[in-house]
Amino acid sequence: MSAIISASNVTKTFRQTKRLPGLGGAMASLFSRQFTEVHAVADISFAIAAGEAVGYLGPNGAGKSTMIKMMTGILVPSGGSLSVLGREPHSHRMTNAAEIGVVFGQRSQLWWDLPVRDSFALHRHIYDIPQARFADNLAFLATMLAMTDYLDRPVRQLSLGQRMRAEIAMALLHDPKILFLDEPTIGLDVVAKDAVRKFLAQINRERGTTIILTTHDLQDIEEICPRLIMVDDGRLLFDGELPRLRAALGSRRRLRLEFGSDPGPISLTTARLVIDEGLAKHFLLDSETTSILDVLTELGSGYDLKDVALEEPAIEEVIRTFYQQKPNLVTAP
Amino acid sequence: MNRTLRLIPHLIAIFVRTKFEYPGAMLLAWFSQATSYGAMYTAIALIVTRFGMLGGWTWSEMALLLSFHLLAYSTGASFSFTQFRVMEDMVRLGTMDAVLVKPISPWTYLVFSGLNIGYTGHIILAVGLMAWSVTQIDLAWSLPVALFFLATLVSGALVVCALMTMIGATALVWVRSRHLYSIFFGFWELARYPITIFPVPIQLMLITIVPLGFISTVPVAVLLGKPVPLLGDWAGLACLLAGPIMVLIAMLHWRWCLRNYQGAGG
Repeated sequence: MSAIISASNVTKTFRQTKRLPGLGGAMASLFSRQFTEVHAVADISFAIAAGEAVGYLGPNGAGKSTMIKMMTGILVPSGGSLSVLGREPHSHRMTNAAEIGVVFGQRSQLWWDLPVRDSFALHRHIYDIPQARFADNLAFLATMLAMTDYLDRPVRQLSLGQRMRAEIAMALLHDPKILFLDEPTIGLDVVAKDAVRKFLAQINRERGTTIILTTHDLQDIEEICPRLIMVDDGRLLFDGELPRLRAALGSRRRLRLEFGSDPGPISLTTARLVIDEGLAKHFLLDSETTSILDVLTELGSGYDLKDVALEEPAIEEVIRTFYQQKPNLVTAP
Repeated sequence: MNRTLRLIPHLIAIFVRTKFEYPGAMLLAWFSQATSYGAMYTAIALIVTRFGMLGGWTWSEMALLLSFHLLAYSTGASFSFTQFRVMEDMVRLGTMDAVLVKPISPWTYLVFSGLNIGYTGHIILAVGLMAWSVTQIDLAWSLPVALFFLATLVSGALVVCALMTMIGATALVWVRSRHLYSIFFGFWELARYPITIFPVPIQLMLITIVPLGFISTVPVAVLLGKPVPLLGDWAGLACLLAGPIMVLIAMLHWRWCLRNYQGAGG
């Protein structure tokens, strides 16, 4: 499938005034300004195909939002080439904007003092959406996001969760081909987060809307985005699927075997015993290719086995390990 | 272009709706602004009538100057002041990003979604004072004079709007630009008086770097047949060209700033 977003050696450099310490430094900078260059995005390349859902992940200051701003045409790249839907986003900003939807988790695009419906109506005019299509989309989104009850309520009276659902609905009213979301679940409670995640996954699956999502909440990635792009200090660290990241890091699955009676010490070649609680024994599967079947086959039938549980390493654990190790670039498939 | 023109009434309508959410505050603002200007004009009237003339201008001529100043300013500012005054905050808080992801010119969106009907009080006062003053002075009305009157009013409003746009646009690059309004309003106050009463350096600044002389004192001097220092016989043409030239400069500045926009965080 051809790429609808293509970044090739993209860089973004900000020129910032060098701050000298103390009052003397502040006075000196009035007469002699020194500048430093901050490489917010450094030589990043990737390609995203239509219908993908990609999580763009990194710590604060890693260059996530800068990359989103370049893809949406807000910022001009300092170097490299960037193409979204076949065009340079910054030089075709308005054409690009008509075909994308953008949700900023911390910046509302709704009219604060007016009912949600009024913001949607203005959105219809800005995006020139035919009335029938607008009505259909509004009905669909209002139902899916459970917004019917508060469409006529002023935005200032909505909870954060309600407002975020309205923001997402508005970004989808014009049927964008790509939906960019910059930390859409930030500050939401557990129930609201769950509703937003389920909806985004559904929109991606059923409508084929490409989703690019930045977040600090790894659960967002796990539930919405099969593919992960990880950056730090503006550089690409990983591009691929979560299981590949687990494999690349050697993140090991954990197998728990529970017995009816204590089987005594067990030694296996397919799994390594790490905790022995007598009736319950915990093993680590060092190889990604080892299946439960392999372990159970090696174990044989001579034990009073009652229960088996396989635990994947939590995404938080994988990501934490990843950033602690700061491995070399892991290339995309 | 057609789509943008069709969109403008909807942008204005939604902003007016937000103002009508607080009708009491809106009416109070109109009343207080008109009262404030009325008090200031009364003070000027008292001074001028006490001394007979100010720089060779009678109170009636001064009234035309003040009304021209207020009408050109409030018309231009209704399209620009409150919209671009908040630009600094929009850049700092990142809300400008939300404007830049819409398929519409950000200038058009900002200007018309914030069209300030709060200037209604100014406009009512200015038109009233203007109507009174033209009955008091001996102005030789003809079609060219009437057209010049209207054209220079529009040109003056364009000067105001262009300068406000440039100050706002500067925030896209510098993040902070609000202090530039102090310079604007400093010269704006001077433009309430006949240009002849100022020393040459200020006269020069009022028709070049901060060309607010063209929103009031220069066009009214031309209409009244009074001498205009530095410009002489070219003053009339300069009044007509000032607005379009400033718009052109503001457009170039706006585009440059937009291209060099860096955001202020994240």
